[in-house]
Amino acid sequence: MTISDEILMAYADGELDAAARAAVESAMREDPQIEKRVAAHRALRRRVQAAYSVELSEGVPESLLRAARAAGTQQANVVELQDARAAIERAASRARPPRPQWRIAGTIAASLIAGVGLGFFIWGQTKAPIMRSAGGALVARGQLAQALSNQLAAEQSQSSAVQIGVSFRAKSGDYCRTFALSGAVSPSGLACLHGEEWQVQTLTQEPGTVGDSGYRTAGSALSETMLKSIEGQIAGEPLDQAGERAARQRGWRPMDR
Amino acid sequence: MNTSETSQSIHEQIVTLLPRLRRFARNLTRNPHDADDVVQIAVERALTRLDQWRSDARLDSWMFKIVRNAWIDELRSRGRRDKVFLAAEAGENVGTDSMARETELLSVQSAMARLPEDQREAVSLVLVEGLPYREAAEVLDVPIGTLTSRLARGREALQALLGTEGEDT
Repeated sequence: MTISDEILMAYADGELDAAARAAVESAMREDPQIEKRVAAHRALRRRVQAAYSVELSEGVPESLLRAARAAGTQQANVVELQDARAAIERAASRARPPRPQWRIAGTIAASLIAGVGLGFFIWGQTKAPIMRSAGGALVARGQLAQALSNQLAAEQSQSSAVQIGVSFRAKSGDYCRTFALSGAVSPSGLACLHGEEWQVQTLTQEPGTVGDSGYRTAGSALSETMLKSIEGQIAGEPLDQAGERAARQRGWRPMDR
Repeated sequence: MNTSETSQSIHEQIVTLLPRLRRFARNLTRNPHDADDVVQIAVERALTRLDQWRSDARLDSWMFKIVRNAWIDELRSRGRRDKVFLAAEAGENVGTDSMARETELLSVQSAMARLPEDQREAVSLVLVEGLPYREAAEVLDVPIGTLTSRLARGREALQALLGTEGEDT
């Protein structure tokens, strides 16, 4: 039986239908030469693949990432904004623990910090909870990263240094969660799991409320900044208790990827 | 709502594809700088033409096609379609692998760089990027028979250039 090299190649590439596959396999059993040719095709395929696999782990230049993400914010969808906002606020109040939470050092104006120096991120005695990664993204570390991965809003202890607020699925498919840090400066923010990292998308210094006797309730009273960034990203509704648990179980991996 | 959701996730899907787009572009252009320029142009073009992407089509194939077209346009405007770059540049990023592995990568990549363009494209899409024949033919705008014959000739040439050493690794 003669089999063309193109057929053997297609066999090695997994491109043949069942009948043609069977024919090649029977020919291979009969003729060790054919088997050898198939093996050579497979070996070359592996070799070429291997030689190009390293390139995939290279960092991608920032300019390309920017190009790919550009225009993503072009058309913010404002339909059903009121509904979305109400749902977010409901979720935030579900996450509210029973007792007043952390002390606010006076009234601090809400401020979105984008390019603030790392000094801000030194938090208590522990390691900075947020670091700037080589790629320029702000990435949650240590206790904050652990809380984002493991802590459920419904079950968190009010004494935890990190309080989780709302969790939701973003339009990008990634899961995002709001958090608040305790301490003299108690920033709160929004982080989304991107690959292996919780990337901090928004970080704000929440205002304290006058007449609040110096206390504020965790998870409640999301600032305008936070609400806006949630609204810009959320796909559908915030996760409920069961959804939050299920997402944690999957390691916050998107379902459809 | 739906269009916004879809386009949003496409941005992130394209981000995920970037390493492969760069790799494909390097195989096309044989020059990492040209490759990044071409990917950038292609990403920008793709984003303005998202409405042309059928959501049942593979995003990677669609993007590869745009990368390739961007490169063809680039060559046309430069008027140097056949300019050959030194293969050494293609092996610029080999990381910290051992010498033997590095040598292997370089020899495969420089053998690839020596293939005629049509064969290199076919090998790059099928063997490197792992596209099915049908998808690769679609990217290159050729019938599937043309794709398989280019692929067969490319493989034969690679085999001849590389010999059988390293095969058992």
